Amino acid sequence: MIRNLRELWQYRALLWNLTQRELKARYRGSALGFLWTFVNPLLLMAVYGLVFGIIQRTNIQHYTYFIFVGLLPWLWFSTSVGVGASTISDRRDLLTKVRFPAQVLPATVVGTNLINYLLSLPLMVGLGALAGIWPDVHALAFPLVLLIQLVFTLGVTFVVSALNVRFRDLQHIVTNVLTLWFFVTPVLYIPNAVPEPYRRLYLIANPMAVIITSYQGIFYEHRWPHPRALAIVALGSVVLLIIAAQVFERRREEFAELV
Amino acid sequence: MSTTDAIVLTGVSKSFRKSTIRREHTTLKSELVRWVKRQKRPEAPSAIIPALRDVTLSVPRGKTFGLVGRNGSGKSTLLKLVTGIYTPTRGTVEVHGRISALLELGAGFHPDFSGRENIFVNGIILGMSRREIRARLEEIIEFSELADFIDEPVRTYSSGMYARLAFAVATHVDPEILLIDEILSVGDEHFGRKSAAKMEEFRKAGKTILLVTHDLSTLQRRCDQAAWLDAGLLKASGSPVDVVAAYRAAVAESEVLALEQHVARAPDPLQPRAGPPAEPGRRWGTFEAELSGVEIHGRDGPQHVFAADAPFRLRARYRRYGRVEAPVLELSLRTDGGTLVWSSSEPLPDVDGASLTLEMPRLGLGDGNYVVDLSLGNSAGAVYDVHRNLYGFAVRAQDASGLLAPIHRWSIEPTAG
Repeated sequence: MIRNLRELWQYRALLWNLTQRELKARYRGSALGFLWTFVNPLLLMAVYGLVFGIIQRTNIQHYTYFIFVGLLPWLWFSTSVGVGASTISDRRDLLTKVRFPAQVLPATVVGTNLINYLLSLPLMVGLGALAGIWPDVHALAFPLVLLIQLVFTLGVTFVVSALNVRFRDLQHIVTNVLTLWFFVTPVLYIPNAVPEPYRRLYLIANPMAVIITSYQGIFYEHRWPHPRALAIVALGSVVLLIIAAQVFERRREEFAELV
Repeated sequence: MSTTDAIVLTGVSKSFRKSTIRREHTTLKSELVRWVKRQKRPEAPSAIIPALRDVTLSVPRGKTFGLVGRNGSGKSTLLKLVTGIYTPTRGTVEVHGRISALLELGAGFHPDFSGRENIFVNGIILGMSRREIRARLEEIIEFSELADFIDEPVRTYSSGMYARLAFAVATHVDPEILLIDEILSVGDEHFGRKSAAKMEEFRKAGKTILLVTHDLSTLQRRCDQAAWLDAGLLKASGSPVDVVAAYRAAVAESEVLALEQHVARAPDPLQPRAGPPAEPGRRWGTFEAELSGVEIHGRDGPQHVFAADAPFRLRARYRRYGRVEAPVLELSLRTDGGTLVWSSSEPLPDVDGASLTLEMPRLGLGDGNYVVDLSLGNSAGAVYDVHRNLYGFAVRAQDASGLLAPIHRWSIEPTAG
């Protein structure tokens, strides 16, 4: 189990190199280049802002900024899991030809999208500035929430990418689950909009809900994340990553034969 | 268990599921359907394909070890087991030392990136640290002879350039154990020589090399030891000369058997007599007289593969059924390409049956595959029984290329001045 993560550390140079390459490849040869990082979240924000801010008329203030605060980390998570699902099953060229630490592949996807997220933070701050909201002392909690999300995202991506080698339809199932998951996560609305009897269950059953509301607390509402909820999610994420690493190690032997 | 061995395989078997080979993947959907229907997983024993069977082998440290075998004999599987890409189904694989495998060149190359950038990613995948790569970068670029193109995207490279870059990276990994899978034939002749020199350098530096090849001369020239795999079984191992000899004999044998594959299926025309020709184009005639039981023998019995100067014997039975006048047996010896090497006619006596034997105390043919055609007829134009392309044999003689291997002797006497 630990071997999996230790190897990941040993191969951090490779991880870093592949991540760099992934980022460069994404922007190389495209007219907008690096700006593509922002186009997708901005478009999504525009669409949701139009539907819920103008047509449906939500009563959340500075709605577009609110969306953006939750949307960016959600995209980090959902893109990592969605793209990560096929990251091992697509790399026959690497896995069958060299002894390759397969966990680097899903980790690269998570890392690449993490950097994308971090790069789009200035845009988020800028958008907040337009609405008169500046980050304050609560931003100190940001690295912690980021770390928890990293652990959680890695765990989910590890499991999904490892299982997708044998069960090739998993990636399609994952795509659909992520769409559902998006709407049960408070990105477009506040958790208080959830009917009272379900609210507790809603937050307990969905770690992403806790993580996203923590970001919204930090950047939008200027309050500290709920410590107990966040602690539970942190603990759960660590356990998930340990289990995920274990599942990954068990499956690993079959990667070269099945991809 | 001595530490003088770099690689030790003990009773290693590796099997694959047939579904894996056919690249059929389970889906969650089908798994769910099966679970709902409560069916058992249909797993016939035939669905397991053994790629290696109980192979025990050790590669001594500092030696160059060659591995031969036909396609699908398990060579590549063995390399992948040693590399750690596969895990053995049974048995153990021990590797002592830092290993680098050149199973495929350019692992992880990205077409949109420059040669320089790809050196880094490829090098790291092959196990080098960034610092090591940076230290050897110039050397790698120089070896690849791509200095002018090193900052161009790899997709603009020709396949030869691509291979050169990949090989340059791969050989600068500086491993203790190097696994090579038949990729030394990359690039043009000049680069081929360079690669060979690099391998020689590795060898001199006391590195262990495990080499998979089809080229038997490479094997004999470069390897200290060799092993031959066939259908997943270790057929022979030892000195390259012995292994190559055993391998060549087996390949020749199978070639001759392929040549003759119809013989076994041709029914014996003696019973029932005067049946229709068994094989159109291979056997025909009026069958008023017949040849049967044709066999090619060596010194001690039926044989298919001969040395250039080995004794050769052809045996057949002759039988007469009708009115046959002055029968003549004609024999022609051809190469498998159809070139006539030798033909001979032999009048047969006026008897009802005879046992015929052709004796050649020394075959005297060069390396190649040969076919013996027989024809029973007479000078008046009767055709009783023709056997065409039914009997073959092979000569394996490395020192006798060409058709003939005559008895010869050189006298070399120094002269004054």
